Amino acid sequence: MNIKILFLPILLPFLAGILCILGRKQRIFTEGISLIAAAVNLFIAFVLFGKNLNFNLPWLGFGIDVSFRLYHFSAFIILAAAGFGFLVTLYSLFFMRAKEHLGQFYAYLLISLAFINGAVLADNLVVLLFFWEGLLMSLFGMIAIGNKNAFKTATKAFVINGVTDLCMMIGIVLTAHLAGTLTISKINLPLGLGASLAFILLMIGAISKAGSMPFHSWIPDAATDAPLPFMALIPAALEKLLGIYFLARISLDMFQLTHESWLSVLLMTVGVITILLAVMMALVQKDYKRLLSYHAISQVGYMILGIGTAIPVGIIGGLFHMINHAMYKSCLFLTGGSVEKQAGTTNLEKLGGLGIKMPVTLICFVITAASISGVWPFNGFFSKELVYDAALERGLLFYLCAIAGSFFTAASFLKLGHAAFFGKASSENKQVKEAPLGMLVPMIVIAAGCIIFGVFNSLPLKHLIEPILGAKLNGHHFAGMPGNIKLIIISVIVLVAAIVNHIFGVLMKGSGLKALDYIRYAPILSGIYNKAEKRFFDPYEIGLKVVNLVSALSWKIDRGVDWVYEKFSVKTVYALSMQIRNLQNGNYSLYLGLSIVSAALVFLLFFAGL
Amino acid sequence: MKNELFIFCIVFLPILGALALPLVGRFSKSLRNALSLLFVLSALFFSCLLIPQALSGKPIIFVKSLPLGFNLSFTADALAIFMACTSSLISSIIIMYSFNYISHYENQDEYYSMVTLFLGAMMGLIFSSNLILLYIFWEITGVTSWRLIGFFRQKQQVLKADKSFLVTVFGALLMLLGFLMIYQQTGSFDLSAIKLAGKTSPIPVLALILILCGIFSKSATLPFQTWLPDAGVAPSPVTALLHAAVLVKIGVYVFARLFIVTFIVPDFLRVLVVIIAALSAIVSAGAALLETDLKRIIAYSTISQIGFIFFGFAVGNELAVTGALLYILMHGLAKAGLFLCAGIVEQNTKTKDITQLGGLIKTMPITAISFLFCAFSVMGVPPFGGFFSKYLVFAGSIKAMPFWIVLVYLFGAFLTIIYLFRVFNLVFLGEGRSPLAREKGPLMIFSVALLAFLSFVGGVFIYYPSFFAKTAAVQMLGLVR
Repeated sequence: MNIKILFLPILLPFLAGILCILGRKQRIFTEGISLIAAAVNLFIAFVLFGKNLNFNLPWLGFGIDVSFRLYHFSAFIILAAAGFGFLVTLYSLFFMRAKEHLGQFYAYLLISLAFINGAVLADNLVVLLFFWEGLLMSLFGMIAIGNKNAFKTATKAFVINGVTDLCMMIGIVLTAHLAGTLTISKINLPLGLGASLAFILLMIGAISKAGSMPFHSWIPDAATDAPLPFMALIPAALEKLLGIYFLARISLDMFQLTHESWLSVLLMTVGVITILLAVMMALVQKDYKRLLSYHAISQVGYMILGIGTAIPVGIIGGLFHMINHAMYKSCLFLTGGSVEKQAGTTNLEKLGGLGIKMPVTLICFVITAASISGVWPFNGFFSKELVYDAALERGLLFYLCAIAGSFFTAASFLKLGHAAFFGKASSENKQVKEAPLGMLVPMIVIAAGCIIFGVFNSLPLKHLIEPILGAKLNGHHFAGMPGNIKLIIISVIVLVAAIVNHIFGVLMKGSGLKALDYIRYAPILSGIYNKAEKRFFDPYEIGLKVVNLVSALSWKIDRGVDWVYEKFSVKTVYALSMQIRNLQNGNYSLYLGLSIVSAALVFLLFFAGL
Repeated sequence: MKNELFIFCIVFLPILGALALPLVGRFSKSLRNALSLLFVLSALFFSCLLIPQALSGKPIIFVKSLPLGFNLSFTADALAIFMACTSSLISSIIIMYSFNYISHYENQDEYYSMVTLFLGAMMGLIFSSNLILLYIFWEITGVTSWRLIGFFRQKQQVLKADKSFLVTVFGALLMLLGFLMIYQQTGSFDLSAIKLAGKTSPIPVLALILILCGIFSKSATLPFQTWLPDAGVAPSPVTALLHAAVLVKIGVYVFARLFIVTFIVPDFLRVLVVIIAALSAIVSAGAALLETDLKRIIAYSTISQIGFIFFGFAVGNELAVTGALLYILMHGLAKAGLFLCAGIVEQNTKTKDITQLGGLIKTMPITAISFLFCAFSVMGVPPFGGFFSKYLVFAGSIKAMPFWIVLVYLFGAFLTIIYLFRVFNLVFLGEGRSPLAREKGPLMIFSVALLAFLSFVGGVFIYYPSFFAKTAAVQMLGLVR
């Protein structure tokens, strides 16, 4: 096979994206181009899967080569990304039909796919960074074409990701300096002080791309402002795949991260904090998409926790959770999209009783909600159990936090499902019909995938996930029913508790939507929630405050320096010249004295040879 | 001999041509405009002809002795040719833009004459390898920029022009003192002779600091920075030419020429430059966040980015110097684009206050997209050229500088993203506050689109400029391959 085929998954979607921009006035043209490009991209991904290819071309010198490496892990990510890309494109044909900026939407979608393929294939850190940072543009564009104020969210997303990408840039130069090479597959650093610093900087880039705390705050805003297929594709699926892929690369290959390292504890801590805080925010949301977006953040915590444990079972669990999450979360967003399209709103207060009118959407929702809550036999159950197993091995506290996150996840999905699909239909929802077939097909495909990946979990585990670790597994296999019966029992108890909690909440407040209100308005929590809703804890806002302080100080310095030029030096010169003017007072003896002194000076300079 | 002739054409065609332009302007305005562009383009053309010579690694040296120990000496090494190509390329686009922009103002003869003279003097400065010659060209650029900034004759404009002239001349005089001290030490103004002499007896530190003052004043670095934002009163092509592409790069270029190629600089002075440049980068980036005048913001941004270029040169290893050279090119292209976009906005909406603007992307789509692309390049977002220059500067610095200094510059890079987005959002997105004016002037729109396109092409085909810059860096540092 010609090695140049590796350029195809990058160039083809990119050029198709450019075509979409150029021909943005013709709707059929752009739709056709993007569907074909997404399909061909998927086909290429299939062809590439299972192959090992290396490509290297010297480029800028300094070790910066155009080098690509197709191997099991990268082929797997590309295949998954291409699959989601195709399904979401299909969905968008129907969802986006009447919307503005259609050409731009497809263009950014395809360019994102191209750049993700490039970043995953890259075997040189600079090439990786090139594609990785290049995603900023399509991210900005995709959010900005949403509603009227979407550009503010787009800016927020750009700034957060831009800042973390710059951190990653420093991480890369530091890594290259320490390792003496930029080739990813040749780097294997022990975690000394410098390498730990480099690891943290690279980790910031990776977990920020995955949408973990504290780099998450643009995602809930984008959920309300950006077009919905964007949410289903980028933050729910592609960015998770890419971010977790890179996190796995740095902790498995590039650095020798062991479970004794403090960095492992740091990663796990970031993981559990993300799980808990984000799910607590998800509990109180009153918007379908916004609620889902907080879960998109919270679930990253499980992946980071799993990989952070640095023991095989955790890593396998984290990676398995990555692909599972991408599936159920993008399907959940798609159900949100069909609700939005058919009912005209995603505000849970205005929804209700949609289950009878939209049965297929309901079924897909139930399957995927059960997956995310960790119900047997869906895929989320198996990956979560693996992560729990590893978390318990590393520390009871991590396990307890993870399991608590599970409880709240289940609780909030009971609330969401109840409020949207059951209960009384509001008067506006009387005429709602099921979504068109083109939107249902992607949802059904992904939901079916959730079942297959759960029931036949040895299929993905043996063929997709376990080969990533290869020899590090020492022949262990993680497929089938989890071994630790106690953990399963606890998980079941937690789920039952969530259901009981829901029933209790409904009985107390009389509606599914308000089932969790007792948490929202609990004594201390309500104050915290009030502040959180005013974005008091938003790391972005806090960061901007710091920046504003710096800039106020800078402004003072700048104006101070200017004062020296504008006022101080002018006044000094005036004052001096006034003094000199006073000397010119017409006094003969003064003039004579000055002349004699000057003459003496001239003499000294020129004739005395001084 | 052919190459020597090229150098003469590059330097003296614009200078002599500039003197003829006002005469031509009496007869035909369009001929004058065309000639002005032609002179600058000829500088670009002949500079490009020198590229093969630059890549071969052998510098062209031309010396003609004059009485009283002076001499007319030009050297064209890779650094000089790189700089000449960059400056003349950007200048030609800016002059093309001026055809539309300046067409309805007074004093056009003066404008074209001064712009062309400026470019010629800049070329002379780049190629001169004699300190006195360098100083003379330096001052010609000072005088021409004084006239250009004071293009509009209101009191405010004239005062600001005086301010910039006084600050830069003050710095230049300090620099001249430094040159004289060097002459005292080495007995020569010739750079290669000074380089030889410097190997046995080091150049006095005071002389180096005096020269640094001159460099910082020309490149508008803290504490000599404030004339640059004030010079925003000039017409937009002038601000683009002076602030972005060419004038401020003179200081950086002379820094590279003297402090890297010629002198042996003590380490503490390098660190001093790095720290001053870092302060300058942060302070001006912070000021850009509070400023509300469109052109002043972009000017502050220039000061901030110049800090990064100084950083690259002061670090002084092959990676960082290559990065700094690329930075000069990429920043010049992108920043000229930003200023010229600001010119389109300013001329059509009649305001520079970004709080009065908004929503212009609907009526000025090409300007808005060009502005965004140029801003991306300045931020260092791939695939634009700025990404590579920023990466190389950081990659070089991590090898030679303490980590905390790198972090300070990293913070400066954060601020760059934030203030550029603030400008873009306030001017082009959101609700339109001012009347939504359309973009006018086909050449103006073409120029900004061309600059944005070049920023993009420069990134995608980074191989060529980077190869050139790398050759120059190797030659500058005297590394043997």
